[in-house]
Amino acid sequence: MHQEHDMRPILKHPLNVRIFHYILLLSFLPLAATGLLLFFKPLSQEGMQLTYDVHIIAGIVMALDAVAFTIMAFDRVVQFIARVFSFSGRDVKWFMVLGGYPQKFLLGKKVPIPPMNKYNSGQKLFGACVLIGGTVLILSGLVLWLIPHAAPRDIVWFLGQAHLVSGLVLTAFLPVHLFLAVYRFDDFKAMMIHGNVPYHDAAEYTPLWVKNEIAPVATNGEQLTSK
Amino acid sequence: MNKKKHLFAEDSFFLSRRKFMAVGAAFVAALAIPIGWFTCKLERRNEYIKARSQGLYKDDSLAKTRVSHANPAVEKYYKEFGGEPLGHMSHELLHTHFVDRTKLNS
Repeated sequence: MHQEHDMRPILKHPLNVRIFHYILLLSFLPLAATGLLLFFKPLSQEGMQLTYDVHIIAGIVMALDAVAFTIMAFDRVVQFIARVFSFSGRDVKWFMVLGGYPQKFLLGKKVPIPPMNKYNSGQKLFGACVLIGGTVLILSGLVLWLIPHAAPRDIVWFLGQAHLVSGLVLTAFLPVHLFLAVYRFDDFKAMMIHGNVPYHDAAEYTPLWVKNEIAPVATNGEQLTSK
Repeated sequence: MNKKKHLFAEDSFFLSRRKFMAVGAAFVAALAIPIGWFTCKLERRNEYIKARSQGLYKDDSLAKTRVSHANPAVEKYYKEFGGEPLGHMSHELLHTHFVDRTKLNS
């Protein structure tokens, strides 16, 4: 198996994506924690006041991060949308075995899974939820924070419910995302450190991406040998 | 930070120009339509509030009694019972105390 040891780096997460992801991470973790505290209200008034202030500040950071990335890297946003909203029979087959993860973790056996593109079907579902839920959270949060008295009462109520549901769904995704992110350690290092995954990792988990979209980059004016 | 230079990268033209524009336009529209609708609702609501304020001012200008201190009932109260405005009896009966019940200040 030559590919198992093929360590040639493929750029998977460019620097702007990594910076966006870092700011998202640093803002969403406090948002999720303070959001749960605001929902269950276990603290004293001073504690709840501090929680509310932290929630607002982290929300502003996340909103600015999303707006800045959308403006400065619009092409990446469009590509991300095109990826996460693409759907084929492979996704149905992937969900029927849940990517082979339960079999691997619970039964210790490997089942065949359909070849995936840059994101597998679970990541695409997560990506769609983050995209839609994140947008709903930011827009509804701005209304609930700034103009709850000026906006129509029914719409404010509806936005409050949408904010709650989106926040709970994305918070529920968080432990799964963190666990699987660390499990796919090469991808984890790519997102958190240098952006690159080794060729063998990409060929194993994202064969369609490698086959259809990956090209050698020019070095010293020379094209590398074909993959 | 690992300085390792990558040897392969994504071909950014995997999306055709037509599809890129279609997806980008759909994204912008999906954002702009709800925001536009909400802004419209907000403006219409403010128009309603302004119209209602105008109506109240109009009613006020047409009213026979336009100020509270000219209200015959209030005048009768002071004349027959309360003494004078800000007097001891009126203070005892009419003064209210404010209690701050604010939960969140921000």
